[in-house]
Amino acid sequence: MDIKDIKAIIDLMKKNSITEFELERQDSKIRLKRGPNGGVPVVQYDEPVAGGAAPVLLPASSTSTPAGTPQIAATGEIEVKSPMIGTFYRAPSPEAANYVEIGSEISPESVVCIIEAMKVMNEIKAEVKGVITQVLVENAKPVEFGQPLFKVRPA
Amino acid sequence: MFEKILVANRGEIAVRIIRACKELNIRTVAVYSEVDANSMHVQMADEAICIGKAAASESYLRIDRIISAAEIADVDAIHPGYGFLSENAHFVEVCESCNIRFIGPSPRAMQALGDKAVSRALAKKAGVPTPPGSEGVVEKEHDAVAIAKQIGYPVMIKAVAGGGGRGMRVAHNDISMVKGYHTARTEAEKAFGNSGVYIEKYIENPHHIEIQILGDTKGRIIHLGERDCSVQRRNQKLVEEAPSPLLEYRFRKLRDKIGKAAVKIAEAARYTNAGTVEFIVDNQGNFYFLEVNKRIQVEHPVTEEVTGIDLVRYQILLALGEPLQHSQSDIQIKGHAIECRINAEDPFDDFRPSPGRIEMYFQPGGRGVRVDTNAYAGYTIPPTYDSMIGKLITSGKDRREAMDRMNRALAEYMITGIKTTVSFQQAIMQDPNFRRGVYSTGFIEQLLGGARRELIEEKT
Repeated sequence: MDIKDIKAIIDLMKKNSITEFELERQDSKIRLKRGPNGGVPVVQYDEPVAGGAAPVLLPASSTSTPAGTPQIAATGEIEVKSPMIGTFYRAPSPEAANYVEIGSEISPESVVCIIEAMKVMNEIKAEVKGVITQVLVENAKPVEFGQPLFKVRPA
Repeated sequence: MFEKILVANRGEIAVRIIRACKELNIRTVAVYSEVDANSMHVQMADEAICIGKAAASESYLRIDRIISAAEIADVDAIHPGYGFLSENAHFVEVCESCNIRFIGPSPRAMQALGDKAVSRALAKKAGVPTPPGSEGVVEKEHDAVAIAKQIGYPVMIKAVAGGGGRGMRVAHNDISMVKGYHTARTEAEKAFGNSGVYIEKYIENPHHIEIQILGDTKGRIIHLGERDCSVQRRNQKLVEEAPSPLLEYRFRKLRDKIGKAAVKIAEAARYTNAGTVEFIVDNQGNFYFLEVNKRIQVEHPVTEEVTGIDLVRYQILLALGEPLQHSQSDIQIKGHAIECRINAEDPFDDFRPSPGRIEMYFQPGGRGVRVDTNAYAGYTIPPTYDSMIGKLITSGKDRREAMDRMNRALAEYMITGIKTTVSFQQAIMQDPNFRRGVYSTGFIEQLLGGARRELIEEKT
């Protein structure tokens, strides 16, 4: 992370009235806190720590709602949630096309993604009928049980 | 040193393990079921991963989900706590095949002490006395009756796969023997998936004495003295203490003898990491081996207080392959410690579980007071798990000081919104027999049945 990135984050914080921001990666950790009255942000930057795995960004706590049954979000959309823990993949293989994109029409039997756990690739079905409006997780990121994966406008 | 440990448990023990990791600068990963999202262990860990719905069978017992979580968080080791998967040899094997260190004994040691009948046989071979009983699982009804006649009534029918005080039946004659034999088998099948039962002489009102052991990978094993856990209600421990007043006041030489027997059994099983060897002691000072608990136990804090040794930290270091830093002669028992398990139960309503939201919470403190808990004001206790919300441990230079301190500390608790066993434990601390150190496992039944009831009811 260089000074340009940190400046960009500070501007974003000011613009959106965010007072605290924390980002942790395998090799670094940064914490920005704005003082009262929107004063100069305090920057806390930790020494890089030796590590080889891909960056993992997991919330320290998260509120989860029951998975399996699609959840109606505030905007009238349904969330497709993860039924398992693993790594989220948008396509069956690195060279193949994504299973779904924003705007894709899906039926309950449509495979929307793969969640890989212990070397087994599990095809995840949509279980709803509608149109994908949002993809909530980046490719190859870890997901937990109940984590929202897609937003769907039901048909 | 491990970089990251996943805690495969919940509640107060998960908090305990996370604390030990923090003190060793090890990053922690919590796993939680949906209903535990606001639990303390989730807040304290560096990372947290939801692993399923409330039921333990859908979350904390799911080996696949826990291993998946361990993989995406890239942990080096898993600490299983107590209960759940802590004594599951298959889980240990899965961890090993995924290159994740299991913080506990090896699968081989677990299998050697596998079920109660097997460990009984091991103890016998090691020359450690066991209660008279069957040589293994009793397959047929007429064998059961014959063995009972041989041992002499009363006898206990026990599930080989049982644990936590469950899966046991007492028989006083042939009729109750036959009935008990069949009901115990059915119950065992339902509760543990294994209908195997064995038979043991029932020693009435025994004292439950257990020995804490530690073993390293070089084969060295030491014991850290005993804990007396005789204060039980329906085979569930309520108060534990170290050292045992029975041994301190009446059978001084027994500590060394029982300690050596515990080490012998552990050596025979090639045991590693932390464990507890359980014995029953009768009023004449005869002791008999019961079973080995192959995990850290709920009541480990009383041993920590009187020995000054951090047992969970030791578990982590031993799992790394480090040798024991103490020899048997280094272990000194100083002072006295008592633990009360604070359960969300109503002692005035037959200990009915009382889950729900804790409105106000203030816990005791001051000198010689330790509280291991996950409770806080505003926390909602889920109904899906056991009812223990914390442990109150007091220590003192002697038993009297520890007891008086426990009395003082229990009175400081201010908990509203749920019912707790605090008032009941106050009654125990003030009971003359308990104070004299004269009690066995029949103590609570006597306390509840006798004239002490008005003392308990006064405490609300």
